[in-house]
Amino acid sequence: MTTFALSAYVLVWPVLVAVVLFVISRAFFREWAEARRNGEDLI
Amino acid sequence: MACVSGTETAQFSAVVVVGLLVFFYGGTFLISTRIGKKDENADGYMTGGNNIGFGISAASMTATWIWAASMYASATSGYTYGISGPIHYGLWGALMILFIYPFGKRIRSVAPKAHTLAEVMYARHGRSSQLMLAGSNIVGSLISLMSNFIAGGVLISLLSPFNFTQGVFAVAAGVLLYTLWSGFRASVLTDFVQVVAMLGAVAVIVPFIFFAAGFPAAFETGAENLTPQQGSFFSSEAFMGQGAPYIAAVLAYAIGNQTIAQRLFAVRQSLIKPTFVTATVGYGAMVIGVGMLGVLALYLGFEPSGGDMNNLIPEMASTYLPPVLLALFFIMIIGALSSTADSDLAALSSIMMADVYGQNVAGVKKANPRTMLLVGRVTMVVATALAVAFASLQLSILDLLVFVGALWGALVFPVLASFYWEKVTNRAFTVSVLAALAVFLPVRFSWIPVDGVFGIVVDVLSVLGVGVVLGLMVFGFFGTRAAKIVGVLAVVVSAPFAIGSLHEYATLCGSLVAYSVSTVICWAMSVRRRDGFDFALIAQRTGDFDDGPATGTVAAGANGANGDGVPHQADGTGSDDAPEPATTTH
Repeated sequence: MTTFALSAYVLVWPVLVAVVLFVISRAFFREWAEARRNGEDLI
Repeated sequence: MACVSGTETAQFSAVVVVGLLVFFYGGTFLISTRIGKKDENADGYMTGGNNIGFGISAASMTATWIWAASMYASATSGYTYGISGPIHYGLWGALMILFIYPFGKRIRSVAPKAHTLAEVMYARHGRSSQLMLAGSNIVGSLISLMSNFIAGGVLISLLSPFNFTQGVFAVAAGVLLYTLWSGFRASVLTDFVQVVAMLGAVAVIVPFIFFAAGFPAAFETGAENLTPQQGSFFSSEAFMGQGAPYIAAVLAYAIGNQTIAQRLFAVRQSLIKPTFVTATVGYGAMVIGVGMLGVLALYLGFEPSGGDMNNLIPEMASTYLPPVLLALFFIMIIGALSSTADSDLAALSSIMMADVYGQNVAGVKKANPRTMLLVGRVTMVVATALAVAFASLQLSILDLLVFVGALWGALVFPVLASFYWEKVTNRAFTVSVLAALAVFLPVRFSWIPVDGVFGIVVDVLSVLGVGVVLGLMVFGFFGTRAAKIVGVLAVVVSAPFAIGSLHEYATLCGSLVAYSVSTVICWAMSVRRRDGFDFALIAQRTGDFDDGPATGTVAAGANGANGDGVPHQADGTGSDDAPEPATTTH
């Protein structure tokens, strides 16, 4: 593989991790806000 | 700087490490107090009320599936097998989360309010099946708990003035502190915080080390450090040495592990698919990402001290990271091992509460929720003490995990078939699992020479096992017909290569014969049966133990097993091996 391809291969995983972190965090805070609005426990 | 086996590594002072541990465990404890209740609900303690949302469920599934050993093993795979190594560890582990989600949907549809898989086996078959599954879960979770404590002890001893034993005690006390009172509810809530710390750390640390170590230029200067196989993305060595054995083992882990089943029963039923898909991507990206540190180390010609691969990641981190990011790395590893350890504690407590006390000591009708909670909390304390004691024995974790993996391999087909095929009986379940174990043990531990006829028998059984594993993976998504086609094709294609040589790989063969023997016997003992089991009975026979509200949202008791919203187990089923009877004729 070329140096560029190897670099992309190594660095794509942290990018994917960041995307998953965003998705999970957004869902968590939405559920938290909804639970507070409804006066319920989050869990 | 400090010297570890001849190599200079950065090290924290005692004050800094204590500060980091207090920050991490104190923080998670404070978070857990936000959901703590004076009177906890027994069902909430086990499954959080079967109604948890996507954000927490996805975070918890990801955090639980990632443990410290996954990161170390992925990096080791990258260092050993080269650029494809992390894929052959992380990708297969991630795909297993995806492969079990259709099974998870089926399990939740027939047992919407259950707490453990073993509890469902009791409702489906009876006591012997339940106790076999519960027993294997207990052994597996204790081993997992112990190995996470060991990982914590090693990390703390490597990066601080404290020794291994002090590290083990610190981690064990920290995990028990925030899990003890609220059980599973505390486990999943703190999983969110831990997964944020883990994912955030990987997103920053991997690129930082990449550039700090001189990449991308080092790909050219260090290329000579790789063999042709290590430099190939399609390395057969990587597949045979890492990927293939892992595929067989992980399917068994995904099915047999109560920590995964517990989250399956906790998440809102409509959110099972997005939860599992997100956890698949999250686990894969994180574990493969950390594994890339092993690939970078290989290009750099980096030598872990003493040749111990467990030192690879900590030494890469301590060599290239500034103190602040090294602290973040420390939190990442502590978060990974703690999230799995608290899940193991929650799983063990649920098994003791529901399977041992609830169904075998008190009986479902007489089970006292307050006593159940006491059983759960005492279980956590005892399990922690046992895991700390076992950690000091320095047993071979890998051997123990492989053993448990094979044990669960013997259970996979009988368990899954019990959810889809009405003909499977308690006797077929029990005999097939015991027979599989009886064949597995001599194969795995080479008790009988495999260079003669027995070797050919092992090869044939292993080839059948390949078909079973691939067939089961396909079955979840595409049904029986596709599974049979893939299974038969796998046998036909692999037989010419495998028969005559596969028995040389004892670990792989051990797992595969466990799959094949249990499948063949379970099928043979069930196929001629005329009566069938009515799956609707499972929902009636499993349900809440506690009348009190499990959570604020759980009024949900809603889709209660009875359909009347009354949160109680509907059917006594208190007698030995009794549940089977209700049948339909086909």
